[in-house]
Amino acid sequence: MLKWNVRPADTPDVTYQIYVSSMETGGWIKADEFAADARTGKDIDLPFWAWEVSAKEHAVKVELSNFYGSAQSTGALFHFKVTAVKDNNSYDSQVVSAKTVSNWFRLDRVNNLVLLIVIIIIFFWAVSHAKRKGLFIRRIAGLDAIDEAIGRATEMGKPIYYVPGIGGMSSISTIASAFILGEVSKKVAQYDSQIKVPHYDPIVMTVCKEVVKQAFLEAGRPDSYREDINQFISQDQFSYAASVDGMISREKPAAVFFMGYFMAESLLMAEVGATSGAIQIAGTDVESQLPFFFTACDYTLIGEELYAAGAYLSKEPMLLSALKVQDFGKLLVMVSVFFGIILVAIGAKLHWDPFVEGILNLFKAY
Amino acid sequence: MALSTLVKKYMKLIKKQIPLAIVFIFGVLTLASYYVPHKISVNYIEMMNKWENIVAAFAFLLGLFSLFFSHYHKISRKVDGWGYSIFVFVGFLAMVIPAFMSEGKQSTPAGATLLGWAFRYIYNALSATMFAVLAFYIVSTAYRSFRIKSLQAFVLFVAAFLLILGKVPLGQIIWDSVLGWTGAGVDQVIEWVMSVPAVAGKRGIMIGISIGAIVTSFKIIFGIERQYMGKD
Repeated sequence: MLKWNVRPADTPDVTYQIYVSSMETGGWIKADEFAADARTGKDIDLPFWAWEVSAKEHAVKVELSNFYGSAQSTGALFHFKVTAVKDNNSYDSQVVSAKTVSNWFRLDRVNNLVLLIVIIIIFFWAVSHAKRKGLFIRRIAGLDAIDEAIGRATEMGKPIYYVPGIGGMSSISTIASAFILGEVSKKVAQYDSQIKVPHYDPIVMTVCKEVVKQAFLEAGRPDSYREDINQFISQDQFSYAASVDGMISREKPAAVFFMGYFMAESLLMAEVGATSGAIQIAGTDVESQLPFFFTACDYTLIGEELYAAGAYLSKEPMLLSALKVQDFGKLLVMVSVFFGIILVAIGAKLHWDPFVEGILNLFKAY
Repeated sequence: MALSTLVKKYMKLIKKQIPLAIVFIFGVLTLASYYVPHKISVNYIEMMNKWENIVAAFAFLLGLFSLFFSHYHKISRKVDGWGYSIFVFVGFLAMVIPAFMSEGKQSTPAGATLLGWAFRYIYNALSATMFAVLAFYIVSTAYRSFRIKSLQAFVLFVAAFLLILGKVPLGQIIWDSVLGWTGAGVDQVIEWVMSVPAVAGKRGIMIGISIGAIVTSFKIIFGIERQYMGKD
């Protein structure tokens, strides 16, 4: 960050040019250019606790990695100069040299860190609380219908399809889907029904194989487990959708689960499932696909319900306690929004601009 | 007896404690890297991404073998619909052989290679066909959602009907002739629906999803959620 004082001569017809060089002499690269009456400390988008807002200083952030690459721009000595240009005449400042040093902490993300610490404290409080006494968890119709769907499949002697979507293992919805698959597989094994899991991602397939195998083992039916329950289909979105559609059309499953991350293929698959007459239960955190699932499926889990499903089905107190944390988190957001609105409205009405700016800083991600 | 206890402890260490420790350490390091802009942190994230790519490459081979074995068994056992499995191999060869012949290049200065041709006239054509089918499914799903069975379905119907009405000139004419006296144009109503109730609902869902994602991550990092490793 380069800073220098604003002068009375900084009028719009004066232009500042920022030059940077990695060499002792010459090699100057023009890093930035702006009118002299612009770019003060007020224009830097940082919160009040990380940056002293001042209109009396010019402040320019020079992104060295754009000119020298991220590897070379750390730890090296760089030279800077500012050139003022007016009426084709230019005036160079003194050359300033500085060695770049990596920071150990992003001060602008303190608000985020505080929120994280608060959630961690609530998290551990809820977990310890769960050990002492039970928690009330509201019923989720979509999850209660899982037993009905598996029972129907068993009675009809038809398979169940579990579609984990097109997300990778780093997607939270896919992780949540793997947890639900474990519980669904356990019930399938208990009822001695059939389950088929077509996969888009081979890593997800590998994880799901272990999850299903473990579920069959826990249900006391390791003999019923088959390696082809989990099957890799394709890592192409529409090839995957076409293949799953084909399987659903031919085999007419009694129940289809769509749990995980979905994009345009959501309706392609859910509509075929609906046409085949299967009970369909869907869950995703992609809000743009939720309307398609709402219209084509019997039950739909919305975002957070998908994350809660594993805990809800397993009924483990430790896992259920985490649901309380979600509720506390939402309460925290609601309270923050409520008081934030009031404070900002009062500040705006009374023209307390720094106060309003400060409140907005608190809720902004940097 | 002592030996079996030792073996049990060893197995617990291998199957439970070490994986949990790995999850905890790398989870905390990755979380910390969000707050630490230091070069070490940046290098760590880059290294993790490389590892992910390496694992994905090997896992893809695993997936491919799984696919081939599954379809080979279907053909050899002549199970129902085994004929479709032939197309898996046909499709695979139809793309892989041109790829080898064209040395992986889709085009040369002389024009499109065999791979480029296969990509354009086989792969792209099939993908586009599949995507186009979506339009028909949207119609049938719209028909289903327009059969009002509940209050929620009615709200969905009203919102969708308004949007359809506002997007076609005929709808605008109907609106103006029937509800023109209200002074509100259908485009204004649509804008309000899209920017007020729709955004409010969307944000509510997004807040729930974000908090749920944070809590799920904590459950995994702190070893509360360990279903992926089986029970103790």
